[in-house]
Amino acid sequence: MATGLSPSTRTERVFSCPPFVYDEVYGSDGAPRGHWAKFLTALRSVPAGEFSRRNEQADRMLRENGVSYHSVGKGGSTARPWRLDLLPMLITAADWAVIAEALAQRARLLNLVIADIYGSRSLIDDGTLPPEALYANPEFLRPFCDIGRLDQVPMFMYAVELARSAEGQWWVMADRSEAPAGPGFALENRIVSSRTMPSAFKQIPVERLAPFFARLQNSVRRRTPRPGDNPRIVLLSSGPGHPYYFEDVYLARYLGYTMVEGGDLAVRNDAVFLKTLSGLVPVDIVLARGAESGLDPLELGGYSAHGVPGLLNAMRSGNVAVTNTPGCGIVGAPVFMAFLPRLCQRLLGEPLKMPSISTWWCGEADSLAYVMDRLDQLVVKPAFQKSGGEEIIVSDLTVAEREKLVARLRANPYSWVAQEKIARSAVPVWSSVGIRCGHAAVRAFLVEDEGEWHLMPGGLIRVAPDTGPMQLSIAAGEGSKDLWVIADGKVDPVTLLNPQDQPIELRRTSALFPSRVADNLFWLGRSLDCCDFLARLIRALAERLADESNVDMVEVRFLARALSEFGQLEPGFVVGGLESQLPSLTEALPDAVYDAGEFGGLARVVNELTRLASLVRDWISPDTWHRINVTAEKFRASSEKEWRDITDVVSSANSLVGDIASVSGLVFDGMNRGPSWRFLDLGRSIERANSTARLLLSAEWKRGPASPALLKTIIEVLDVRMTYRFRYRENFHRNAVLDLTITDETNPRSLAFQLDRVVSHVDRLPGFEARPLRSEEMRIVMQAAHAVRMLTSEDLAASHPKAVSAALKIVDENMTQLSNVLTRKYLVHSGIPRQFTEFGGDSR
Amino acid sequence: MKYRITHKTNYDGHESVSIGHNQAWLELRQVHWQEVDSFSLVIDPEPSVRTRRIDSFRNPVHLFSFNEGYRQLTVTATSVVTVTDIPLPGAQFSVPWEQVASGVQTHANAADRAAAEFEFASPRIFWSPDKRRYALESFLPGRSMSDSLLDLTRRIHEEFVYDSRATTVNTPVDEVFRLRRGVCQDFAHLQIAMLRSLGIPARYVSGYLRTVPADGQRRLVGADATHAWLSVYGGNGVWLDVDPTNNTICSTDHITLAWGRDYSDVPPLTGVFIGGGQHRLVVNVDVLPLA
Repeated sequence: MATGLSPSTRTERVFSCPPFVYDEVYGSDGAPRGHWAKFLTALRSVPAGEFSRRNEQADRMLRENGVSYHSVGKGGSTARPWRLDLLPMLITAADWAVIAEALAQRARLLNLVIADIYGSRSLIDDGTLPPEALYANPEFLRPFCDIGRLDQVPMFMYAVELARSAEGQWWVMADRSEAPAGPGFALENRIVSSRTMPSAFKQIPVERLAPFFARLQNSVRRRTPRPGDNPRIVLLSSGPGHPYYFEDVYLARYLGYTMVEGGDLAVRNDAVFLKTLSGLVPVDIVLARGAESGLDPLELGGYSAHGVPGLLNAMRSGNVAVTNTPGCGIVGAPVFMAFLPRLCQRLLGEPLKMPSISTWWCGEADSLAYVMDRLDQLVVKPAFQKSGGEEIIVSDLTVAEREKLVARLRANPYSWVAQEKIARSAVPVWSSVGIRCGHAAVRAFLVEDEGEWHLMPGGLIRVAPDTGPMQLSIAAGEGSKDLWVIADGKVDPVTLLNPQDQPIELRRTSALFPSRVADNLFWLGRSLDCCDFLARLIRALAERLADESNVDMVEVRFLARALSEFGQLEPGFVVGGLESQLPSLTEALPDAVYDAGEFGGLARVVNELTRLASLVRDWISPDTWHRINVTAEKFRASSEKEWRDITDVVSSANSLVGDIASVSGLVFDGMNRGPSWRFLDLGRSIERANSTARLLLSAEWKRGPASPALLKTIIEVLDVRMTYRFRYRENFHRNAVLDLTITDETNPRSLAFQLDRVVSHVDRLPGFEARPLRSEEMRIVMQAAHAVRMLTSEDLAASHPKAVSAALKIVDENMTQLSNVLTRKYLVHSGIPRQFTEFGGDSR
Repeated sequence: MKYRITHKTNYDGHESVSIGHNQAWLELRQVHWQEVDSFSLVIDPEPSVRTRRIDSFRNPVHLFSFNEGYRQLTVTATSVVTVTDIPLPGAQFSVPWEQVASGVQTHANAADRAAAEFEFASPRIFWSPDKRRYALESFLPGRSMSDSLLDLTRRIHEEFVYDSRATTVNTPVDEVFRLRRGVCQDFAHLQIAMLRSLGIPARYVSGYLRTVPADGQRRLVGADATHAWLSVYGGNGVWLDVDPTNNTICSTDHITLAWGRDYSDVPPLTGVFIGGGQHRLVVNVDVLPLA
């Protein structure tokens, strides 16, 4: 239970800071520092329980917004929820301005170093930098040597890790020069905390983050190779497997850029294009978020999700700007920190304004000797690994491990640096047991615009429970915090800039619709309907099994067979005496439903639904995404229960049917009737036609009248019970059931209705307007529609409805075929690239 | 010595290649003992776009791409070149080898610092203690750079078997060392690895050998294809090319195409493409002495 603050502690410290650590809140006299005073007053005015509740609300909001990062460990990567502690870290605008000036100098310096490295290499020539910094560095990639533009800084976006030592001095712990992660998380933290912070905090004048992002937009826009035009900008993501995929989606949406993966882009005639449904659309600026070493498989080798063959030469040809310019990453290697003071004097002719944490490069004999002498007080890192990599805290090593490290250092000293440890400053951290002390790492973000550097007035704080060195990745530590820069006066409200004075061009569709997105939406539509259909089928069986006193074997047999047909049940239950297997079927059904095993499983379908939705998050409404997420969460929660029986299955299937209906409602009501909706709905209609045909086929119509129980089950699963009763009451006849489910064009659940829908979607697919004759996909769907339309009432009423079965088979086969054709047509040009190389010597 | 060199690469795909991007290190680089009289690169079918650039090692590279599909691709590079005899860098290579290594390691002068580009591990070349031990049997304490180097070149030539079936283009250097077999590219990589393990910079050279031997001399190995050897640093910006496959110091029989840290920096032809199915690459090289 939160103890927090009570009136009796009004004058006491809210937390206590260990010795030899800078206290962010209280001065040496024990009184709160000026900029904290107002905050502490506000904090005391809020009942402890209330603050706790708000913190939980923030957590819930982050979870529901799907804010996460991927942690990669054994068994692949898993999405971890992002955590935010509502208590911010505070700093005065005046202090932040001093930091801004120092970091701007550092950014200018690093840009000069980058330009020299990929240019004349005068720093190697005159001995300012040791040759090892480049030539032993596997991140020094020579194809980057001639891709930069001389009129622009190569690194326009930059992040720095900061820590405050016991004396109150700020130190740079690491530089992030390659697609720095974190600004999106900082923004999301701010948005969530400003929505949840109690109103008592609202009077504190906190600097806004929005102007920084407006700067960022402006800066990106200015890098266009075609000034004057409105540039087309894409954010190049490494895809859903990347740790910060969430942030890619978030930033793309916030900044208004089209999010793409490597396969969405193509290089033609040394220019970059986006593959869209309506053809190739030129791209002017690529905001690259993944590793620069994977950008161009042609020149850099290897394959990565965001690689675009030919990209570097398109840059050289001046047809596209990629930011940060590939190659900037190298100065994020710790080896450069050892030389920055020297480089600053040489390149800027002035001392470095903010020191880096003391760093010794072991490649110099003197430094190596010094490091060896006091190894136990140091942190050892690979010299060329961009920050966030391996970190060895020597004092934590066993004797054997330490010996091994010493041997590695002696073998290749130039591959290592050693750094001092810093006891990070202390901040209050909210926890379920009250306020504790945590140690802060600050990530600050800078952007260059029109020759000036701008520091985000805020940042991302990570906290660790102790003063020990902390991994510098943004996922490290126990949680994150917002950073409040406290303004001197009032703060003007600003949101993301949009030139208000001139109207924008009106549009009906967004021009940039990547083919990959079409494919994913298509499968999302299929998956939505599949989920709905299976939930109904499972519910029907579970309800019948749950009612042990009155099991109709005809119904159960039909449902079990259908379920095994759809891969949800082992076929073993279908053959032989099902009666004797009833108890084991009742027992097996929950496992089959909840375990996302090798054998289909509703759980797997639900997982697939969320996976697909996450791939197209940028293209469906936040509410739809949220709803799908909640649906899956609910299903997972019931599947994780220790005891699961047939009644749980009934209730899970029930709520799944309802939840999917509400997702469909959001899609149907809210989604613009553009290509994204068309592909989603096309997938849904094809899936529904397919599953309806298959279900009716699995009824295995025989000569003679059909059992009313079977007919009843069919209309229940196909969700046409109401209509049937209205028309025919309890009078169950096969021809009426077949009409309603197959040929009745007024029933939205009938095959005829769905096939009509597919026809009209296929007719409007882009790129086929001006063609003579029907396209392949049109012929496929028309054949199916035709087969259904040609059925006569005699066919439906025949004692052995062979004609119906034949039509159903055509629908089943053609829908599968149509799906394949569409996938091939819309995805084929993003096939997997391959590499060939002529050997370097001798015939083999 | 004047040559006409024809280097023809034929790509034959099973299915059509829909899109392809290619890079070729097929144009002879400028070096002071070599005068390129003419060069042409004929690509059939004609690519949609082609450009030429100079890479960071100052080799010319040709880039070309196809937007249209093709099943067959023929790339023909034709060069006419005059190679003059390089005087041996006598004095520079007579210093003890340790002096060369320590100059580079202590970053003694700008030339040594620049040579360090070829001192460290590269994508296909890694050091190992056993390779260092092997090299140290030639690089005896205080022995001159030239004696040590020529002895090591001779030993590789004698103790390794030329066998084009023992290795592939992707066989690691360690495997070549274990097998004691390989082809020119393998031997060049191996000797480079050994020299670098001693702290001596060495670079990979891709090039050609004259096909028809001069009167009364034996035909050199590796003449019908591209050849590979290495260039070794001897301090003060001076380099010497040796060919372990033929146990020789390179002279007018060797025509330099391009150099880099290892093969991966200068493959004659490399590309990324979509489609194509199964494919076959056939390379023909003809080095014809003109005068």
